Amino acid sequence: MSNADELLRIEGIRKTFPGVVALDGVDFDLRRGEVHVLLGENGAGKSTLIKMLSGAYRPDAGRILAGGEEVRIHGAQDSERLGIATIYQEFNLVPDLTVAENIFLGRQPRRFGMIDRKRMEAEAAVLLERVGVHVSPRARVRELGIARLQMVEIAKALSLNARVLIMDEPTAVLTSEEVEKLFAIVRRLREDGVGVVFITHHLEEIAALGDRVTVIRDGRSVGQVPASTPEDELVRLMVGRSIEQQYPRERADQGAALLSVEGLTRDGVFHDVSFEVHAGEVVGIAGLVGAGRTEVVRAVFGADPYDQGAVRVGGARLPRYDVNAAMAAGIGLVPEDRKGQGLVLDASVEENLGLVTMRSATRAGLVDLKGQHEAADRIAKQLGVRMAGLGQHVRTLSGGNQQKVVIGKWLLANTKVLILDEPTRGIDVGAKVEIYQLINELTAAGAAVLMISSDLPEVLGMSDRVLVMAQGRIAGELPADEATQDAVMALAVSTPSTPTPSEVEAGRGR
Amino acid sequence: MAAETLKSSTGAGGAAAVRRLLLDNGALTALIVLVIAMSALSGDFLTTDNLLNVGVQAAVTAILAFGVTFVIVSAGIDLSVGSVAALSATVLAWSATQQGVPVVTAVLLAVVTGVVCGLVNGFLIAYGKLPPFIATLAMLSVGRGLSLVISEGSPIAFPDSVSHLGDTLGGWLPVPVLVMIVMGLIAAFVLGRTYIGRSMYAIGGNEEAARLSGLRVKKQKLAIYALSGVFAAAAGIVLASRLSSAQPQAADGYELDAIAAVVIGGASLAGGTGKASGTLIGALILAVLRNGLNLLSVSAFWQQVVIGVVIALAVLLDTVRRKAGATPVAAGTGGGKGRQAATYGLAAVVTVAIVGATSFLHSGSSSAANPKVGLALSTLNNPFFVQIQSGARAEAKKLGVDLTVTDAQNDASQQANQLQNFTSSGYDSIIVNPVDSDAAAPAVRAADKAKIPVIAVDRGVNKATTDALVASDNVAGGELAAKTVAEKLGGTGKIVILQGQAGTSAARERAEGFAKGLKAYPGIQVLAQQPADFDRTKGLDVMSNLLQAHPDVQGVIAANDEMALGAIKALGAKAGKSVQVVGFDGTPDGLNAVKDGTLYASVAQQPSELGRIAVDNALKALQGKKVEQTVKVPVKVVTKENVAGFSG
Repeated sequence: MSNADELLRIEGIRKTFPGVVALDGVDFDLRRGEVHVLLGENGAGKSTLIKMLSGAYRPDAGRILAGGEEVRIHGAQDSERLGIATIYQEFNLVPDLTVAENIFLGRQPRRFGMIDRKRMEAEAAVLLERVGVHVSPRARVRELGIARLQMVEIAKALSLNARVLIMDEPTAVLTSEEVEKLFAIVRRLREDGVGVVFITHHLEEIAALGDRVTVIRDGRSVGQVPASTPEDELVRLMVGRSIEQQYPRERADQGAALLSVEGLTRDGVFHDVSFEVHAGEVVGIAGLVGAGRTEVVRAVFGADPYDQGAVRVGGARLPRYDVNAAMAAGIGLVPEDRKGQGLVLDASVEENLGLVTMRSATRAGLVDLKGQHEAADRIAKQLGVRMAGLGQHVRTLSGGNQQKVVIGKWLLANTKVLILDEPTRGIDVGAKVEIYQLINELTAAGAAVLMISSDLPEVLGMSDRVLVMAQGRIAGELPADEATQDAVMALAVSTPSTPTPSEVEAGRGR
Repeated sequence: MAAETLKSSTGAGGAAAVRRLLLDNGALTALIVLVIAMSALSGDFLTTDNLLNVGVQAAVTAILAFGVTFVIVSAGIDLSVGSVAALSATVLAWSATQQGVPVVTAVLLAVVTGVVCGLVNGFLIAYGKLPPFIATLAMLSVGRGLSLVISEGSPIAFPDSVSHLGDTLGGWLPVPVLVMIVMGLIAAFVLGRTYIGRSMYAIGGNEEAARLSGLRVKKQKLAIYALSGVFAAAAGIVLASRLSSAQPQAADGYELDAIAAVVIGGASLAGGTGKASGTLIGALILAVLRNGLNLLSVSAFWQQVVIGVVIALAVLLDTVRRKAGATPVAAGTGGGKGRQAATYGLAAVVTVAIVGATSFLHSGSSSAANPKVGLALSTLNNPFFVQIQSGARAEAKKLGVDLTVTDAQNDASQQANQLQNFTSSGYDSIIVNPVDSDAAAPAVRAADKAKIPVIAVDRGVNKATTDALVASDNVAGGELAAKTVAEKLGGTGKIVILQGQAGTSAARERAEGFAKGLKAYPGIQVLAQQPADFDRTKGLDVMSNLLQAHPDVQGVIAANDEMALGAIKALGAKAGKSVQVVGFDGTPDGLNAVKDGTLYASVAQQPSELGRIAVDNALKALQGKKVEQTVKVPVKVVTKENVAGFSG
């Protein structure tokens, strides 16, 4: 107990929400200068646990000890006083303030009652230097990419002299290069004696960065193991069973070209993008964040306009910038931003599942609610959505189950070409495999899948063909057997010049 | 969801079900608490008649609010509904009464007006990318302006066949209540069952997700605002038929009541949630509150404070309950203890607040022996009427009369509600100072039917019997004002006229008097006539503007002292020297200005005298003594020479 190195100890924490026991008897401890990984499926209770430490929730039972003394954390001020800083998946930054202002928000250095901009910016520059990011303290946060936002968050935590840094899936939104940078920073913090609570779904990151692992399953801590534990063992602890295969792609027979994209261009964003997707095929789109992948698929779906080129489904050209025409032709889009674009969070599972089919289920202005209910019930069962009932608000579902709802609404609409943009971001291993199975079922039924993913093993494991985008162009195309991490990365960082390399010929369709 | 509207009225499915319903619906709890509190405090509250009154008084707000529910559920806002209601009613009355259009066509025209206004809103928002707040704020102004243009500022009589919408069916069921229920069912049906209704929730919940799921968001928005326009038109027609006249200034500020009703009913201004049943409860809460406070004779000024506090508490109750219950829909089974405690705690706070406030503000215990007289004033936002009130109060005290004063805030329909409350709670006599002479008629006729003597003060009531009219003659006063300024200027000169609030009878009659009086002086040139709404600030603004255009002005006639005092501010040192200002009313401030010499003269009515004589006559009438049909209170021109003899 009286370990001098112990920063934080949690004993028998319990927390219930109406109808749900979120946490039940969780033990956890954190020492100075270690990276302690919290592992668990989505919905296991990791987020609830860290919200206790940041003061967002109060436990119903159990104790929290800081430095050996029992403490109560009733709000952000309390946790700040205890030196606990949390970096959530959604950043707490004000877009229209500068980097320096964000770092010192509410604590800006003052002189004669005025904010001392010079000193604030100088201090911010020191912190940014320590984090190892090259951003001007005077830059507006709105202009920064997601990786840099995270660095600003870390700098902010450092400015608070945090002794405990909690990071909730910090790598989920980063490219592999950025992940390396982040790891370097975390290692440096560890050397400085900071205790880091690290949440991730990427098992390979545990061995690379972690010291100890606490696994949480269904609201209970089921084990504490060293970070060197084999991945299979970790998965077994996490899901309570072993997962046979991480990427269970079953290849279907390839049919006719369902979707063909010809010379699609939006000035300054993407250029001369051409490819085809055939029935029964999974085409992956790999590339660095910012390569224009999301922009291309949104234009294909009609969610955004484009300047030149054409999108054809089954030979018929789709009108530009028309979501409804794309849907009528059988295209569906599972957007990158699940919460912001894919779901009506405060509506029920049933309503979200019925969103796409609502129009076709309408006769004389009236929605066939009974039919909609039956369809939702059927698809929810088929997808194995874990919920209290069809009336549950999707906001309260875990990430994996939310994603199943988004995919489910397109399945109900008999989608022939399903575009998945980062389908498994922030989703735990168990749910991932379920989504992969779904992709298999779709292609087996003759549909085509176009999948964007920043998770390279996933693209390689699930795609029949991989398109690599770089700087708004298709840098190359690799068949599944030639696609390796190295080959994809080489293309992703290349600078594609005028017309795309010869590899793309197969996909040209001109 | 269509069934939920009914649930609120037929919640007799076992005690557990009732308890759950209350816990799940903070607004309903608040309504029940209010009803219990009001029944405990006033014996007149829980009678069939009065409850139907509450229904009638809620009807217009509720119908408007149903329309606004659509808009708020889809994460928009509609500020224009009050104006659109007035415009639709005005179009109906104008086309049927003045243009001879068949009534059916006129009703259709009114609805089309509502639709068009809604479509314009929707177009500006969906295709013009204007924020809903701004687009509908613009329509608020345009709608009000157009209804004033069409009606030329005067109320227009409503066709009789449509006015039946304001009557009662079978002698007891008021048609407005029926219309409210029908519109409520339609709203619940639209929200719960139709494609557009379900789209509202999706668009309000997440517009981008809705668009990417193939909903035609822009077209839906057009339809949503058009629907709101239709409901506004319906509300306008009901409002005008209750008053038997279409008032261009009707429903002013009702958009805020409607929004409050929707939010009290549990909708979020962020969109995605809201129900027709909740909106109905919200509208009922507002109506119960106004009705109850009238019955309890709470001072008119304190009423506004209490209403504001209760709105805040009702919404607070709901948010606390929601927070405690995390997910209102999913957690339908029972609920945590904290949540219950929070609900009960807040309910207790609300009760204590209401009971405390009302008993504290209760204007003295009403002993049964004293006769009860109600005084329904058009406004208390003007010293003139405040003086009527004080004159009446003083006389009532002297004669041993229990006097209850209400303030209609220049809203004819609110006044109709207040008169109705007097009638239903069995007052012995009613004194009315009509907001509008035509619009007060139906409520006065109801009082006549209940054999309650009615005395009109300051303004008459058309098409209804009053036992006496206590007034000073506005037209004659206007003539006097014109004569005074003309003679001071020696029969030649350039003047401007500041008119009263367009659409009020006092403004019309005084303007008529000015015109009559000036006919005798062809040498007087009227440079401009502009309305300044009887308001001192507006008088200042309008006069400043006029001075820019006409620096050579020599005289000002203002339709009341407040505007005259505003004009004097604008004139600065010129007032009383090179420019002669004549006001109207003889208010204390006005008389002071006359003493100082900045105001040359005021046509003094004697407002406290009006109040005194009105109470006098009311007492005579209820004792069965004979009263004169019209009691003229003399009007006098007050100048520096004779100002000492006046005290208002």
